[in-house]
Amino acid sequence: MLLDAVHMEFSPRYHHTADMLLDEQLIIEAAKQNPEHFGPLYDKYYKQIFGYVYQRMDDKDTAFDLTAQVFLKALTNIEKYEYKGVPFASWLYRIAHSEVMQLFRNNSKLRTVNADISDLRNICEEVEEEYMEQYKGILMTVIKDLPEDDLQLIELRFFEKRAFKEIAEILNLTETNAKVKLYRILERVKKTLTKTSK
Amino acid sequence: MATKFNLNRQPVPDEEINSHKDFGELVNKFKKQSIEKARSDASFLKNKKATYSAIIAGVAVVCTVTYFSVFKKEPPKETNNDKIITSQKNNTSTQNTKLNKAFIEPPISKLNVPYTSYKVKAEQGGTLKHKSNSKIIIPKKAFVNKQGQDIIGDVEIKYREFHNQADIIASGIPMTYDSAGVQSTLESAGMIDIRGYQNGEPVYINPKKQITVEFQSEHTADRYNMYVLDTVAKNWVYVSRDNSLKGQKHEPSKTSAADATNEKAESPKTIELQKQLEAIPPKIEAEKIVYTKKVNQLPKVVTPTKPTKATAGRPQFELDVNYKEFPELEAFKNAIFEVGAENQNYNSKLADITWSSAEVSEGPIKGKNYLLTLKLRERVEKLIVYPALTGADYDKALKSYESKFNDYKTAVAKREADEKRLKEEFEAKQAAFVTEQKRLTDEMIKERIRWQKEQEDELNRKFQSITSQEKVTRIFNVTNFGICNSDCPTSMPQGEKMNPIFVINNSDSFIRSEKTYLVCHSKNVVYNFYTPSISYDPKDTYSLCVLSNGKLYLCDKTQLGTCFANKQNKIPVKELSVDVNDSYELKKALGI
Repeated sequence: MLLDAVHMEFSPRYHHTADMLLDEQLIIEAAKQNPEHFGPLYDKYYKQIFGYVYQRMDDKDTAFDLTAQVFLKALTNIEKYEYKGVPFASWLYRIAHSEVMQLFRNNSKLRTVNADISDLRNICEEVEEEYMEQYKGILMTVIKDLPEDDLQLIELRFFEKRAFKEIAEILNLTETNAKVKLYRILERVKKTLTKTSK
Repeated sequence: MATKFNLNRQPVPDEEINSHKDFGELVNKFKKQSIEKARSDASFLKNKKATYSAIIAGVAVVCTVTYFSVFKKEPPKETNNDKIITSQKNNTSTQNTKLNKAFIEPPISKLNVPYTSYKVKAEQGGTLKHKSNSKIIIPKKAFVNKQGQDIIGDVEIKYREFHNQADIIASGIPMTYDSAGVQSTLESAGMIDIRGYQNGEPVYINPKKQITVEFQSEHTADRYNMYVLDTVAKNWVYVSRDNSLKGQKHEPSKTSAADATNEKAESPKTIELQKQLEAIPPKIEAEKIVYTKKVNQLPKVVTPTKPTKATAGRPQFELDVNYKEFPELEAFKNAIFEVGAENQNYNSKLADITWSSAEVSEGPIKGKNYLLTLKLRERVEKLIVYPALTGADYDKALKSYESKFNDYKTAVAKREADEKRLKEEFEAKQAAFVTEQKRLTDEMIKERIRWQKEQEDELNRKFQSITSQEKVTRIFNVTNFGICNSDCPTSMPQGEKMNPIFVINNSDSFIRSEKTYLVCHSKNVVYNFYTPSISYDPKDTYSLCVLSNGKLYLCDKTQLGTCFANKQNKIPVKELSVDVNDSYELKKALGI
């Protein structure tokens, strides 16, 4: 398994220099004093949060509504936000994660899995299996039947191409734990693929 | 139902995403939500028959909860006493929404203004004179417990005063004043914090009484009002116009440490001496162990045994002895063993038996007699025997004994000398420890006296500056314990704005400000900024204090003046020296 492989292009949006983190922190502090100062953070992260929410559902309007809800929650609770050396995005993603999960608990029909064929190829490469057309259906079935927590990991890593550090922060895991969990999921996927190809 | 899997779904165009972005709508929702929350809080308070009223000021997200009971004749409330630090009621006022922080939060605890404790008999009352010359006048039966019953006996009054900007910063008392949504900062003519306790439990001021504090203030203007800090609403509450008696000048207080228990720590030197002192007893114990060990290690001196001449007529045995095992029997080479008279089991027939084994072991009297164990199959006989010599063997053994006895005496003398030397060395070391202990104790006593004097001098110095100026007595009529203030609201400085970058000692490393204190030198006011930007009046003089990661950094008025004059936002700051241990030193450091 090549869990640390860099052949997948991970989103650079998350990575911040120290100066960027400082700038962001200053805006957050200002927003704590006056909600009007939250604007730059809203502009910066709106698309990302919408992307995260919409990735997990089919209904665009629901995704937009939920995104608005995420930002309202963030603004309401910004006083509680404490800078821990990571971008503000990780906190927003946690809120988004919690809101999305709450929505699915209320209405599981809204849950969908969205991926590109290239994402399925990446999974095959990760488990050191050459991608074959017949794998497409198997992978889709295996993935959509995964328990929610496992599905989250696959989505975050392969469909959204996030770094483990970011995944760990969104899911409130340690980086190692995220890697181990994903490794185990991929082991199971590999077994299924090997069994099917025989 | 199975989860749906979409493959290669079309992405949502950026234009569509952006068309849903509406920050104004978000802020409106937030404000609406805040107002609803404030309303529900107010209604909650009404339902609880609490003595608060909520005033919701428009959509400006500002909610002020006014605490009416302050300075009014109402039953005592717990809120204004011990709960000051822990009060966390949610208020959406922009300055007061620090939900995760204590409302009163000293930036550095060691700088905080300490309380002075006084004792007063509740049934008698009395007048307490503070070191600043302020008077605390307590009437008879001024205290009640939480059930409203009169208290008798000793009540501990804890009292402290805040005179200047350094005291304000050090105490962490918020000076922001929110009046119907209009934010301002309080310019102080002096502030007091007064508490009462009996046996560690808070007491309350009798609703029919009031404590009067005649506060000595160096700020003589008459623009001040009386406020009390409502720690639940997290706001100052206006009480009345200030009632000051002008022009009274006082001598510096002669209050000594004996009159009041000032909560000052020991001096650093005393702490160090104490540490050294505490280290001595373990050293004494260790030295005792070393001494005992050395004595035990001295060569053992074995007393030679004087040979005994065989007694005629006693039954005797001839035995082969392992002299390595019983070196003292060397003197009895060729010895015979006489059967002791104490052996009741002995009879002459035993001598006729050919025993299969005969063993000698230590007898009841070590070095004097031995236990002879004779065995033949199942039969075992034990006899106490005494070594003895006969004829020439005895003479030879006696000679050898005499020679060994001389050696023994020499060895004993050497051992005694060694023991004496070790003992002397040990006693010398112990004496050195005792001397050191005494020296340290003496030094500590001197240091304590010196420290106490220094503290008193310092206190006198602190108030000398106050008493040397024209002063006014400001009267605080206290009906609830807590923090009272003689202030006037002042707006945030206007003229210029700046987004400062705080650089340590002009180096490349900068600090992130959690809170910036802009200390005004023309008025007794500290402006707090939590935002990245600060505002200032270019005509005024300021110094600056920055809180970052639990440390304070300062920029003096000269440097800050230069930065402001040049509109240079890179502001050099220095970390507050570790030697700064109280607000007075902070004041000096700020150049106030």
